[in-house]
Amino acid sequence: MDLTTPPPDLYGRPGPDPFMRRVTAFGDWYPKVMGRPLLRRRPGLPAPRPTPPLQLAVSGHRLIATDVVELRLAAPSGGPLPAWQPGARLLLTLPSGRERHYSLCGDPADPAGADTYRIAVRRIADGGGGSREIHDDLHVGARLTARRPRNGFAFCGEPAVLLLAGGIGITPLLPMAREAQRRGLDWHLIHAGRSADSMPFGDELRALDPKRVTFLTGVPSAADLLARAPKGAAVYCCGPAPMLAVVQSAFDASPARALHFERFGAAPILGGRPFAVQLGADGPRLEVPAERSALDVLREARPELPYSCHQGFCGTCRVQLRSGTPEHRDRRLTEEERAAGALLPCVSRAPEGETLVLDL
Amino acid sequence: MPRATEPTSVHDSLVLEPRDVRFDWSRLPLHWIPDEPMATHTINVLHLLLPEGERWFVRLFKEALPMITDEQLREEVLGFIGQEAIHAEAHQEVLEHLLAQGLDPRPYVRQTSWLFQRVLGDKPNLTPAQRREHIIERVASVAAVEHFTAFLGDWALNSPGLDRAKADPTMLDLLRWHGAEEVEHRSVAYDLMVHLDPGYLRRVRGMAVAGPLLVHLWVRGVRFLLAADPTLEGRVKPTWREAQLIGRRGLLPQPGRMARSAARYFRPGYHPTQEGSSSQALSYLATSPAARAATTTSH
Repeated sequence: MDLTTPPPDLYGRPGPDPFMRRVTAFGDWYPKVMGRPLLRRRPGLPAPRPTPPLQLAVSGHRLIATDVVELRLAAPSGGPLPAWQPGARLLLTLPSGRERHYSLCGDPADPAGADTYRIAVRRIADGGGGSREIHDDLHVGARLTARRPRNGFAFCGEPAVLLLAGGIGITPLLPMAREAQRRGLDWHLIHAGRSADSMPFGDELRALDPKRVTFLTGVPSAADLLARAPKGAAVYCCGPAPMLAVVQSAFDASPARALHFERFGAAPILGGRPFAVQLGADGPRLEVPAERSALDVLREARPELPYSCHQGFCGTCRVQLRSGTPEHRDRRLTEEERAAGALLPCVSRAPEGETLVLDL
Repeated sequence: MPRATEPTSVHDSLVLEPRDVRFDWSRLPLHWIPDEPMATHTINVLHLLLPEGERWFVRLFKEALPMITDEQLREEVLGFIGQEAIHAEAHQEVLEHLLAQGLDPRPYVRQTSWLFQRVLGDKPNLTPAQRREHIIERVASVAAVEHFTAFLGDWALNSPGLDRAKADPTMLDLLRWHGAEEVEHRSVAYDLMVHLDPGYLRRVRGMAVAGPLLVHLWVRGVRFLLAADPTLEGRVKPTWREAQLIGRRGLLPQPGRMARSAARYFRPGYHPTQEGSSSQALSYLATSPAARAATTTSH
């Protein structure tokens, strides 16, 4: 765009637009007076400080179902922990340094529980090791840190609610069921799992209202899950991806109206090959393995790099390509932008062995 | 929109993520609130201002990222950036549709581009201290604008008048999806401003500059669109009195309410979470056709 000639009048009258002329003069003058007294951040004000991580100690560790451990976490010196709402999750840093998200499954409305966080963790034998560490190595008294609870699956308290849990996906839904019961909502919970002994919290759920809880074993069908939805219900679904896919595909034909689920950011990388990115013509060269995104790798070297959707649609992580042949996998950039070297490293890759040199 | 049962329950620390929405504008009539050109075009000003305006938010907040020292705030700002980027594109599509229907928005958009790129963009020859202050000052303006967008978003979610007037359902979904995300992320710009400068004067200046500018741009936009609408031939002239009457019918937010809302921004104990309901916003997003379409493609 031409940033030297002020825009013409809105209605085609001759000469530059008077209002535009005035705001332009103001916009040129204003930043120059910034920094004078009263037009600056007060000198001597302490610098903004990061919120320190929560220091936690394991106060309980017990097996509550086959391969499921319930962990209780408290401040080492006791006292209340930051409040949270149903659906919230905690980012734990385990003693090994691994970081894992877990949904809180305690009762946030119970004042007696305000000094404890409860999470439930299923052992994933072939996972990244976080669940094995919690099962085998964490004992009462062990110290770990966490970020304050955040909520990507907030419970909105609609009048009619259907809660669908698959396996360990019950954890965020248990506090929602309690909340629904407390508010007197028309609620129902379906918990589907591989086998009855692998499904935790059965007694706690039945204690709320046995008529409102259904337990299923095996792989549930769309009818199993959605047939009970009251008309206009809000569905909250948490479970393995195939279960969510079943619910989504049958949703429009169901009597339910709203669908809530937790978003997980990046989708798994399909058909990725290892390649490399280089930060500038003379900068370091970083290997991008087949199962990681270029953005992930870049962020290790440049933590300040902006990004947002992880899925190639928002364009926030856009970088400029200097050389190399990319494989564009986004759905945001136009052909012209790609031809001019724009690249979204959150999803886009390169053929095996290729090096993408980026303007960073 | 029915309010969720406990409208006052505030959801703290929401995880913010952009939604990959899609809209089909092929059947949108020019006056998408039937027989209500002034109400239609008053809301259409959004499409004139937002693509450039929200891209400016994105550029500015990317510049502010290195100044953030709190990890959670940084994540919220990144979520905000992604949401604003999608808003800009969604409104851009409507703009192209207006042109196809014979209403040429380009003279106004040319001015909007100049405003957000040249007038409010980065300035050459500033000292590092001035540049830093200039970033914080503009973040304060965005915080003030976000007070209005949250107000408008809350209005859009509670505007049965638009349904009664048989407004186009796709446009209603755009307004309510966008409005709900504005309510959802209403604290981010304010929290960022306070993080960078907690001073009250900064907040006041942000509103003092951005408030009148926004109102003036809006009024200019309504006048422009009504004059440029080929079907009206300049017959409809906008007046505040008319805006008030349309507001009473529930087709526009009432100007008086908006002024009172702006006044609340100056209260010392103000925080954006005091206005609007996250519960209601998230409830709508779980039903929005565009947001729901986004969910099925991302997995």
